[in-house]
Amino acid sequence: MAMKGKNCVAIAADRRFGVQLMTLSTDFQKIFEINPRTYIGLPGLATDVQTLSELFRFKTNLYKLREERDISPKTFSHMVSSTLYEKRFGNYFCEPVIAGIEKDGSPYICSMDLLGCINHAKDFVVSGTASSQMYGTAEGLWEPELEPEELFETIAQAMMSAVDRDASSGWGVIVHVITQDGVMTKTLKARMD
Amino acid sequence: MEALFGITGKGFVLTASDTTMARSIVIMKHGEDKSRVLNKNTLMMYTGEAGDTVQFAEYVQRNVQLYGIRNGVPLSAHATASYTRRELAKALRTRNPYHVNLLIAGTDPKTETPELYWLDHMASMVKMPFAAQGYASYFCMSTMDRYWKPDMTLEEAKALMQKCIDELKIRFIASLPQFTIKIVDKDGIRDVQL
Amino acid sequence: MPINEVKPATGGFSFDNYARNTMLNDKGFKAPGVIKTGTTICGCLWKGGLVLGADTRATEGPIVADKNCEKIHYLAPNMYCCGAGTAADCDATTGLISSKLELHRLHTGRQSRVVTAMTMLEQMLFKYQGHIGCALVLGGVDINGPQLYTIAPHGSTDKLPYVTMGSGSLAAMAIFESRWKKDMELEDAMELVKDAISAGIFNDLGSGSNVDLCVITKDGVDYRRGYDRPNERVQKERSYKLKPGASTVLTSSFRKYVEVLDGDAMDTS
Repeated sequence: MAMKGKNCVAIAADRRFGVQLMTLSTDFQKIFEINPRTYIGLPGLATDVQTLSELFRFKTNLYKLREERDISPKTFSHMVSSTLYEKRFGNYFCEPVIAGIEKDGSPYICSMDLLGCINHAKDFVVSGTASSQMYGTAEGLWEPELEPEELFETIAQAMMSAVDRDASSGWGVIVHVITQDGVMTKTLKARMD
Repeated sequence: MEALFGITGKGFVLTASDTTMARSIVIMKHGEDKSRVLNKNTLMMYTGEAGDTVQFAEYVQRNVQLYGIRNGVPLSAHATASYTRRELAKALRTRNPYHVNLLIAGTDPKTETPELYWLDHMASMVKMPFAAQGYASYFCMSTMDRYWKPDMTLEEAKALMQKCIDELKIRFIASLPQFTIKIVDKDGIRDVQL
Repeated sequence: MPINEVKPATGGFSFDNYARNTMLNDKGFKAPGVIKTGTTICGCLWKGGLVLGADTRATEGPIVADKNCEKIHYLAPNMYCCGAGTAADCDATTGLISSKLELHRLHTGRQSRVVTAMTMLEQMLFKYQGHIGCALVLGGVDINGPQLYTIAPHGSTDKLPYVTMGSGSLAAMAIFESRWKKDMELEDAMELVKDAISAGIFNDLGSGSNVDLCVITKDGVDYRRGYDRPNERVQKERSYKLKPGASTVLTSSFRKYVEVLDGDAMDTS
């Protein structure tokens, strides 16, 4: 899940890794740093999460070498989109969420379906197995122009309420709030069942 | 019906693998070692389809060895696991993917940090403090979750491993009479007795 | 990925995951849903040009994935295209054709023609035998005047004075059938298209939210995003802002950005 705030964005994910009903790990990484101002969340099939995170690290590194600058969140989201659409007829099982701050300081969030259809939103985007729950909680709690601290509480509560209603999500939550001068990372105490 | 275990402790990883080779309902062989030594401080254990397992493990083993010879520096456990994952992921996108599930155990000889990686045939990789592969995981993950604690001594880890094996003897329908127990620490890889 | 495996992009689709996904599917693994537009799109001709219209709802099964998405895609300065069906396919197909048209314009130095775009879309969709699931309404003005086409996912096309597509096409067509007349004025045409889309928004569950319009004449394009907003959300009655410390935090860290400034050039003398 990602949310826009006032000159800041937040991205949050749960931390479970499991095979069907058996939880194997509770510190699985699903949010990856692309550059200090851009983060991508990759919910979906674990093997594709890891393959894609490696692929995007590779592609953004090449971009940086070629352009001598960090990729902007918007450009990056189109890179992700075309990577997924290339696999239109043999997809990766992954629905990415991207959050970042543009060079001019404006917040950027988007989500994608597994074919790479970009969804820009003015408020929040959600993705993953608990997405239907997250639509509800985020819709209820989000409001415009939230400061970083407020945005953190909003996304944290929206996320916790949603994953508690999804049997296959949870086991800890991690939140990154990307602001004008740095990134605040917090892990939350969550239900472990 | 195969079982693999790994438990990390203070400066070592204790591993166990069953020794039964079965085909359909018939036991073909007792005393099979289902592991390959990748380099001095890294051990790979495997289960899965009979032909794939040894072929894949030895393929990885030789490439990890080659890396060590070429560069004069052995590949770390994390790097080995990442390399193995990529090889599995590549094979997954060919006509004949490898059907192997792995545990990779390693201990850094300098820092003495133990590392244990769990990989499945879909090429998912997770670092875990304790891990199990096969049906055994349904029985023993809970046992290990309850009794595992950070920085266990070798004796404690052995006791926990024994608990897991006993659990299987009581509750698991298949008989797994014998396990190969190994320890991976800074000095290398050795067989141990529980 | 080892550096010697890096190959320049070749374009086209990759089927690398296909066999694996078939295997996963056989094992009963369910893939996440794809986003569809579930759309009402339409267009009609009037005296001086044409009007395209679309709703702004994107759906993923029964869930509204995007309440205000853009379905009228740019193709060329004199041409726009409404897309219905699989959203990713509509985005990618119109994007691809628009870039091809741009290159064609740079090569020929002439304005793109609507039939050119129509033929390119038709041939592409026919080639993929309906597997690229987009139903399009293509409208544009060129030296042959205003033209309006529909292109179905399998590659069949129609040239008509008023057209509708998507799940709400029946509702929209009902409005056109009863009220469309030859050589209408602009205001009447815009009103008619708005009503046709509104019929889709209110009578088809797959369509919703706002009406986007796009008026194309020989003099240019007037893109009216959110021409009509019949479904605005009212202000929340109170603020649900949470108190700081509402969530229990286990670990917390803050990393400041490192600003890299241009240093002095290296002394190479």
